This record gives sequence, C-alpha cells and structure tokens, in this order.
Amino acid sequence: MIELTINGNSVHAEEGETLLKCALRHGIEIPHLCNHPSLPPYGACRICMVEVEGMRGFPTSCTTPAASGMVVRTDTPALQELRRNILGLMMLEHPSACLLCGRRDLCDEFRPQAEKVGRTTGCHTCNNKEVCEVRSLSEELGFSELPVPPLYHHRPIERSDPFIDRDLNLCILCGRCVRVCKHQHGTSIIEFVGRSSISRIGEAFGRTLLEADCRFCGSCVDVCPTGSLADRYAKWFGKAESTAETTCLFCDEGCALSLGIQQGKVVHAQAVDPDKPLCVLGRFAVAPFMNGFDRLSVPQLRVEDSLREVSWDEALAGAGEKLLPWKGETFALVFDSALPLEDKFYLKAFTEQVMQSPHALEAVPDSKGKAKVVLPHGVKAVLSLGSFIDPAEAEGLELLILQDVYPGALIEKASVVFPAAMFTEVAGTTVDASGTARPLFAATVPPGKARSDRQIVMDLAGAMHETVLSDLEEKLAASLKATGDPVLQCIRKTVPPAAADPSLRRDWFRGRYLPGLIGGLRSLEDGSSFEEKPAPLPSDNRDPAAPPQLFQIIRKREVAPNNHEIVFYAPSVAKKAQAGQFVIVMADEKSERVPYTLCDWDAEAGTITLVVQEKGRSSRKLALMQAGECAAHIVGPLGTPLDIQNFGTVALLGGCYGIGAHIANAKALKEAGNEVLIIMEARSHYLHYYLEELAAVADELIVTTIDGSNGIKGHAIDALLRRMQSGARIDRAITVGCPFMMMVASKETKETGLPMFAALNPIMLDGTGMCGACRVTVQGETKFACVDGPFFDAHQIDWDELKDRRNAYTDAELNSLLTTEPVAHAHHAHSGGCGCGRS
Amino acid sequence: MSEMEKQENAAAPKPKKVRPPRQPMPEQAPEDRARNFREVPYGYTPEMAMVEASRCLDCKKPKCVEGCPVHVDIPGFIRLIQQGKFVESAQHLKEQNALPAICGRVCPQEEQCESLCIIGIKNEPVAVGRLERFVADYERNAGAVAIPELPPATGKRIAVIGAGPAGLTAAGDLVRMGHAVTVFEALQEPGGVLIYGIPEFRLPKEIVKAEVDYLRKLGVEFVMDFVVGRNASIQELLTEEGYHAVFIGSGAGLPAFLGIPGENLVGVYSANEYLTRSNLMKSYLFPKYDTPPIRRQRVAVVGGGNVAMDAARTALRLGGDVHIVYRRAKEQMPARIEEIHHAEEEGVHMKLLTNPKRIIGDDQHRVTGIECIQMELGEPDASGRRRPVPVEGSEFVIEADTVVIAIGNNPNPLIPRSMPDLAVSRWGTILVDEETMASSVPGVFAAGDIVSGAATVISAMGQARTAAATINRYVRGEDIVFPSTKNN
Repeated sequence: MIELTINGNSVHAEEGETLLKCALRHGIEIPHLCNHPSLPPYGACRICMVEVEGMRGFPTSCTTPAASGMVVRTDTPALQELRRNILGLMMLEHPSACLLCGRRDLCDEFRPQAEKVGRTTGCHTCNNKEVCEVRSLSEELGFSELPVPPLYHHRPIERSDPFIDRDLNLCILCGRCVRVCKHQHGTSIIEFVGRSSISRIGEAFGRTLLEADCRFCGSCVDVCPTGSLADRYAKWFGKAESTAETTCLFCDEGCALSLGIQQGKVVHAQAVDPDKPLCVLGRFAVAPFMNGFDRLSVPQLRVEDSLREVSWDEALAGAGEKLLPWKGETFALVFDSALPLEDKFYLKAFTEQVMQSPHALEAVPDSKGKAKVVLPHGVKAVLSLGSFIDPAEAEGLELLILQDVYPGALIEKASVVFPAAMFTEVAGTTVDASGTARPLFAATVPPGKARSDRQIVMDLAGAMHETVLSDLEEKLAASLKATGDPVLQCIRKTVPPAAADPSLRRDWFRGRYLPGLIGGLRSLEDGSSFEEKPAPLPSDNRDPAAPPQLFQIIRKREVAPNNHEIVFYAPSVAKKAQAGQFVIVMADEKSERVPYTLCDWDAEAGTITLVVQEKGRSSRKLALMQAGECAAHIVGPLGTPLDIQNFGTVALLGGCYGIGAHIANAKALKEAGNEVLIIMEARSHYLHYYLEELAAVADELIVTTIDGSNGIKGHAIDALLRRMQSGARIDRAITVGCPFMMMVASKETKETGLPMFAALNPIMLDGTGMCGACRVTVQGETKFACVDGPFFDAHQIDWDELKDRRNAYTDAELNSLLTTEPVAHAHHAHSGGCGCGRS
Repeated sequence: MSEMEKQENAAAPKPKKVRPPRQPMPEQAPEDRARNFREVPYGYTPEMAMVEASRCLDCKKPKCVEGCPVHVDIPGFIRLIQQGKFVESAQHLKEQNALPAICGRVCPQEEQCESLCIIGIKNEPVAVGRLERFVADYERNAGAVAIPELPPATGKRIAVIGAGPAGLTAAGDLVRMGHAVTVFEALQEPGGVLIYGIPEFRLPKEIVKAEVDYLRKLGVEFVMDFVVGRNASIQELLTEEGYHAVFIGSGAGLPAFLGIPGENLVGVYSANEYLTRSNLMKSYLFPKYDTPPIRRQRVAVVGGGNVAMDAARTALRLGGDVHIVYRRAKEQMPARIEEIHHAEEEGVHMKLLTNPKRIIGDDQHRVTGIECIQMELGEPDASGRRRPVPVEGSEFVIEADTVVIAIGNNPNPLIPRSMPDLAVSRWGTILVDEETMASSVPGVFAAGDIVSGAATVISAMGQARTAAATINRYVRGEDIVFPSTKNN
C-alpha cells in the first residue's frame, strides 16, 4: 500500500497508479487536458503539473507514478500561474478571442446556440461550444490574456472524407487522436506532421482519411477536446439532451451503443467502452439510417391503382380482409435476423396460429448481411418485413403486404404498407454470435405513426378478430428463459471484427442496401469522394477577351477565414448600385434567395463585389463556387440607399461581413464632404480584411480586436465611446455587422444622444416588399427591411424580436441535417480557385 | 286520336334532344390529394368533353361571351369540340385568350361565362371552364402547339413590366401585332402570381412554363432578375432604352396585415410569403431544394378568399391541422365556392364569424395561439354584405404555432415611388382611363392588380388585352388621350 500526501491530505495510491489518477480518485481536481481516461499517460500539454517535495521542477502528474511518502501540492500560486501561461501559449494557435471577450456572457445569452459555419473562428460558431474542454479549462484557470498575437494557420477545412469534418485550425496538438488511433488499431493513420510552429495532425502524405484507409471508427472524434474533429452529421446539435444505451443490430457482434438523443431522435452513436471502437456502421450509420428522409411513417392502402395514406384502423382492416382467403400453406411471413426475439416469437405465432401456415421464414444473411428468401412452392400471399424476395418473384404473388422501414422496389406490388419501428426504437432481446442474450431498449421515437413489428401483427390479428394470440406473453417468457438474462456488452474483449477489417462489414439491413441510403458509406464502397457538380471552368483558362457571362464569378478569394470575397459580373446591378444597397443571390436554381450587402461595384466593368460568409446550405454553395462559374440569379440593387448628406463627422462601425460594406459607404460620405472615421472590429487580427482599402477611403481608420492582437482591445463601440469621451465630435454613426455587434453598439450609445443607424439583415425572399418576411419593429411600427431599410434608427429597433425572427429557421435547418444527405454537400472538387485553400 | 296513332306517336316521338347532365370532372379523392401536391382534377377525357360540348345550344346571341372579360368566342370553340376538332378548337380559343390552360383552371367561371349560360337557367350551365382546360391540355399534350404566322415587324419596341397574368397577356397580344416585346420580371421565374401564389395542386407549374415557352417562341424576350424602379426607371426605359411604350403589370405585391398585436412573432406569415416559400422556392420538395418548408402542427389561416384557401390547403399538405379564421359567414367568403368546397373536403376546419384580436407568443417570440372574438351578423354595410359585429365577452383562443395572414394585398409602391408623374389613387393603385388603360404619363399603360387592387387573374388579362390594343394604336401613331391631359 502506497501512502502519500496531496495538498496536506494523506491518501492511498494503488500500485502503478499515477499522481493524477490517484488525486482524481480522491476527489482532488488537477486541471488536465491531453490526458484521457482510456489512453495511456502521455504528458504533452503539461497543464497537470504539480509540485512534489524533493523533486526538481514541476513534474506532470499524469506521468508520475505515486510513490510512498511523496508530499504533493497541486494548486500553489506558482502552479496556477504556470498553468495559465501554458494555456496562454496553447491558445496562441486556437481561436481564443471569445474566451477573452468582456461581453462573453451577453453573447452567450444573445445566441446560446452555435451558428453553423464553414471554418470556425470563435466560440459562438463552434460546434463544440457546449462540451468544449478548452472553454471549461480557461474558466477554471482564469485565462485572461494572450502573451503575443495569436497565429492562425489558415488551414483548409477538410471535408472530403465521409462522416468526419476536420478543422485543424482549432487543434491544440494534444495528440489524443493520434494516440487513440494507435491504441485501438495498433498503428495510427494520422500522425504529427512537421515540426515546431507548422506541426499539425494529419496523414503523413497529405492524403484524405479515406485514401489513407481509415476505418472510420470515430474514436478520434470522440476524444478530441476541441471542435477540431467533428461528426459531420451531429456537429451542430450541441450537447445531446439525453443519452441512452442499447445493442447494435447492424450485425450479430452485439456491441453496446451509447446514443445521443435530441427531441426523441438519435443524433449520434458512440462506443460505450471508449477503449473498443465501433465499426463505421455502429458509429456513423445509425443516426442517418434511423432518421432518413424517406422512412416510412404512415400506413398505406392500395385503392385502385395507387397507394393511399390511411389510418391504422383502415390499413389493418384492409390487410385483414385481404389475408383471410390465404389462411394455410399458401401464406408465408418473411423476416430476417435483425429483429428482437420477442418480435420473431410473435411473428411466428401469428403465422402459425392466425394464418395457420408453417411458413414463418427467417431469411438467412450472407456474409455481407444480404438476406434472401426462396418462397416454398405454392405460396401465393406474403407478409414481408423487408426486401427479402426478388421483385420478379413478387410479381407472381396474389397478395403482398409490406411491413417495412424504407420504401423499396417491392412497394410497387404491395397492397398494404405498414410503417415499422426498428432498431433503437424497439425494446426486446437479441442474441449475438456467441449466443449471449443482449438487451434492446426503445431509446428513440419512431417516425410518424410507425409501430413495432410485434404490435403490428398483434393489431392485425385483432383486426382479423382472432383471439388465439392473447396468452402469448407467458409462452414468450418461457421461451426467453432459455436465452438467459440479457446483458449489455459494454466491455468488449476484442475490437469488433468489422472495425478492424472493413471487408467484414455488413452492407445490408432488413433487405436494404445501406450504402444506397447513406452517402458516406457509398464513398467507402467505391473509395472515391462524391463529385457534387461537373468540373468547373478553371479561372486561368478563361479567355480574357471573351465577354463574361451573366452572373459569372470573375474573381474569388477567402479574405478572412470563412469570409469569401466574390466578384460577380452583374452589369445591371453595377450600373445602378448605391451605397448601402444589397442584392439577392441564388447560387443555383434550387438555392434559397439570400441577401448580401454590396461592398463595391464597377459600373464600367459591370462587376459587383460581395463578401459571403458561409453559414447555411445556400451560402455554402456560394462559398464552394469557383471563379468562372456562374450564379443562377442575382437581383439588385435592392433597398433604400444610405442617406448621404454632409453631416460633419460620421463614424462607420463594422465587423464580420459588415467590414466590406463600409467601403462603399465611406466613399459616398466622403464625397459629400464628411469627415469619415472608420472603426473596424474583429475577434482577432487575422479576421480583419480590407484594411488598406478602408484606410484609403477614410480620414481615419481605427482597428479593434477582442483579443487585443491588433489595435484597441475590445469591440468597435469601445473605441467609439473612448473617442467620444475624449471630447471628439461625432455627428452620426452607422453600424453594419452581425446583430449582436449592432445591438451592443446601439444599447451602449442610447444615452449619448448620438444618432446611430444600423443596417438590418433579416431573412428575405423576394426583396421587393412582396412577401413581408423581413418585417422588423422600429419605434413600435412594422417596417419591411427590404424596401424601407436596410438602414434604421438603431436606438428604435426591437433587437430581441430581430434576433428571434432571424433564428426562425434554425431548428428547421438543424433538423434538415437529420434528414438530408450531409456528405453530398460536403464534397467538392479540388481543382483550386474555390478559396478553400486545398489544391 | 286513335289508339293506333297514339302508339305511333309514342314509338316515334318528335325528335326531342335529351340533354345529358353536366359532366363532372374526375378528380383525386380528398383522402389522397390532401397529402400530395399533384393537381386535384384530372380533367375531361375526349369522350367526356364531347358529351359536355354537346350540351351547348350554340346560341345566336351568346350571353356567355358577354360574361367573359376577354370575350372568348365560347360557342365557336365548343362547336369545334363537338366535331372532335380539339386542336383547331384550342387554336381558335387562343385567338382571344393567350393562356387558356391557365384560365380554364383559375377563372371564376360561375360568376362569368357560366353564370349567363341559357341552359343554366333551368339546368346546370355548360362547363365552359372545363372544356377550355380540356382543349388547351389536349393541344399541349399532343405536342400540337403551333406558332401562328406573325405580321411583319413594326419596329416598335414595348417594355412589359411584370411577367404575371397581365404582363403575359399583353406580351402575347403585342407580339402577335408585330411589335418587339421585352418582359421584365423581378423574380427568378416568369409567371408572377401563377408561379409564386397559386399552388401546384391547383395550377401545375409545368403549364405556366409551357405558356411562357409559347410566348418565347413567338419572339417575346424575357429578362429575369430585373426590378423596374431599381435597375431602370420607366422614364429610362422610354428614353435611354428606346422603348416606344411601357406596359405596367406589376401586380398587387404588398401584403396587408391585420394591424393587431403580435403580428411580427415568429410563425406569423403573410400568405405571400407562405405560398412563395412553397410554390416558387419549392420548399415542399425539400431537401431537394434548399428552402426549408414550414411544417407545423397547428396552422390558422386568417381570411376567406382564394388565397386563404390556397394557403390552408398547402398547410394541410405539409402535414398540419388547419383552421381558417374568417370574420363573416361562409356565404360571404370571397373565395370561389369550388375552392371552399375542396378545402372542406380535404379536412380544413372553418372558424366562421371569428375575428382575430391579437396573436399570442412565448418568450422566444414564437406564436402559440391567436385570440379571437365571436362575431354575429348585423346590418348590411356599404358592400351589401351584413356587417359582422363582435359578441361582447366572447373572446377565445385558437391554439396555433403558425398563423398565415391572407387578407389581401396592396399595390406594390416600388414603381409609382420611382415615377412621381404617375398619378395614383390614395390606395396606391395606378389611375388609368378604363377605356384604354392609359395612365397619366404618355406612353405608359397599366393593367391588372396594380390598377384594380387585388382581383382575379382573368380580369387582369381582360384589362391587359385592352391595354395591348391601345398600345398598338399608340405606337402606330394614333392619338391616345392620357388621363391627366384629359382633365386639363
């Protein structure tokens, strides 16, 4: 028994236990980061340093074995200072301005949910916000300043792989991902690449994970303390509302799954035992498969030639009536192994006792899980729980009833379709390959009106006025006794075979080919990424003499992370544009109509310049476009131009996408004889853009950053207030940026009497006053931002309402992630010019 | 008369034509269609059309033609159907009506041609609308749409503002008079209310596309994404751009709201927005299209017109439980009876004599309900309809997570605002000489909802035809009186 002292308390350590483990076990908190409970000690981040009497320096507690008689201190002022400094150094390469922001609480309150973007440069746009270890650590350590300006690596966001998004600009090089990969697969496909400040995590030869033969077990994502590695499907849901465990049914290994659940839907599945990963199906296919857009959710009955959505009562009555003539050996019920034992029992009982047929047929899967049934001779009516019969064979049937989860080829022939619950939606027992019983829990809600398979056949028996199934519970209990008590396989002895060898992965479930439903699996199958669109025109090959096409992209570059400057050929817009106006862009014919402020234009060349921030489906399409490609539609200039008069001194406050908008405003105001003061804020120095251009059109340019890495530390409004307090005369202020920045500016100047105007950017459709989507309340009156605005008296705007109206579709968009194919949106061809940085 | 003679008479009666009953048009069952966006009626088969056509008396002085805002030769096209000449019938129809497939679907025939049909006095009138629809569909489906020979080019250029029913009609007429026509449209697709407003299940967009393609083939040029009043003023069109005349058919695109508390809550939509999302942006095809659909559980639609019915039936198809809230009685609803009937059949609930007082929301500005007051009918008002008056103390709340305001539109001020000389009424409609549709500005003509406020597709087309005829005279050098000068 090892006895030692930690912070004055005498504690016992086990043989070989590290100081960190020992302390944590005794409830003594030592801040740590690179350490992970399921990984061997590493000692990379050095946050967990302690003082040990008699030992030189500050040993890391995660690598120091506890020894008898040690006297350990974990929280001396010197240690706290050291840890803060270490974190400060670490934060130099992680977007950390939000951690240093004086208005952090206000921001969290104004926008509690992370906004989905491409590259993340702050907490409010980070998918990891709600579970971030860096955020909690920085609070714990009282992190409050950076020693020197931070370094942003401008690394492209890696979206070419199925299932996983990687933004290495958020990586703090803790090495957990590298270690977990090595630990679980014996060898790691990702490594530390390069040395010193250019060191990064990646595949040694710059290949994608797919090309490097990644197994997509997702363990690296699960251990990442930052938002650097993300499960693409689940990433914007934040912390799951609840979790639940059940057994995976994709094959008969019986792995336990830990499900993250949001509004009754599974958003991700992880290994219960972080030490033994799941295969790609268990980790990444459960959520998209359960939430697929096409899931059958309403009973259907064929009336004349078409399937009609009907109530359960109608569907059951219809099916019961159709089944009556087929009692006996001409009936067969077919299902496969992916069902709970209980369901199989009821299906069998239904077949034998209600339908009086011996043909309850369990389709036997081949090694890929594809299960087929050959119908016994003479069978004319079939109740099928999936696609187990050949469509050609189904043609010969007199009656086909489907009880299924997705529509397939057989639906054309079906007389009745019952929507079935499955997998994480049903409770019961399954038996794995080793013969051990495993429990299934109903953890999620079935789509629409879907019911469990056992419920459906019971209801069907009821609709056929059969009572023979009434005493089945006891018989079922008796039959289950033989299988023993089910136990979740939380601790596996071995890595599941399919996680180690992809060739062992099953591709079929309930007669359905999974890669046909889940795009990510499709790219695993053929080893290639999706080509979302035909190869675009490379900008260099464009004939300079040829006139541009309408709405063609002339130039494109990423001026700051996630902010794309796009120059379009749109002569009728350029001809009439005035400062403060905007355009509505549709990237393609299926895109939303999204408004963007005009930053600049050239009437002679017929071009307009926009700064597009990648935020949703449609803006991502624009962000992924390349020079030479054409947008489908651009309409504008829209909105009432900025009121241009000689006011005296005008302060222009800008941030984010508002930075670009002020170039035009400044030019026009200057021309009218104003003294123009431009104040530009950004979270950090690397997020500023157009500084030279702005300086050229302003009398004075003040730069502020939240992290103090350039210019004044704070928001633009801080600089303005400081200037006003020093006695400078400001006659008018105009603010353009995100609603939070404008709201803060307006609230903090309300008492000063400074006239301030804000450019509002609510959701719009037509932009000409036709739809009224852009309603805002200004001074108690309803205004249309598209025609009455975009500029309004900032002190009279109902900011809360504006914020909530802007977020009207956030939930819908998130839920669309659950029902759409995320991979197809993520992949794009890398022939350069798209501004993503990859070549 | 002997028994013999009697028997003979009975055996060979005076040839009295037995008129078949009005042929019903087959349609999707309400249970089916309430969950899909496919068109509700299937249309007549040729056999049905010929039976229905046989009902027409071919009156010497056809009253039906008087009832038609564009004076289609109704007996003429029906006669051709009787003879089985469907394509010829369609072509005859198109001489007066550029958009028969559309009018056959959305015109209120029961108030127009069919209301004056002689047969309608004792029996049901001839189904003129259904026959019109039939021949137009027949011609299109048979691929028999022929491009008529155009007169020699006049060298005159006409700008048409707005590609809605008025604009398309004017463009069609003018191009067939030999003028060069350019249509300017602000949205991404031509069709105006036919595209953004009327849902697919009532007017398949493929039909609108076909009609527009037909105009293109006639030589009409369409410029999309162009907002007159922003990209060019009317004055510029007449001077710099060299157009000889301008036709304004910009419609009534400014939604009216109730002016009650809570109208800016999240979940309150103008019917324009609600329908545009679904129809123009195709949100019901999400995720194939990016615009997310508004799928909610309990939808309240305020209003009793055709647009309210369209919004309610769209909400139903998006999976909601739908209530129409209307302050008068059902008989007083301005919607077509057929539309009200369809909506009820599909399961829309009617809350009649119910007036919204305020919309209630939660702490996140999201709609949770709509507080209403019960009304009863009082004395007739100026419109002749009995005025609804509130019943004291009868307030109640209808639970709703979505409220659609479908109480009409005002004229969009974008164009009048950009042209101060253009005389407008106090409601913002453009003042015209109703005989000629000439505005107060020389060379500028207007028709449709921008003139009459929110009205019907066919009345817009009727006005557009008048305007086109006047424009034809104007550009050929005839003296046209523009109202402001007339007053002087």
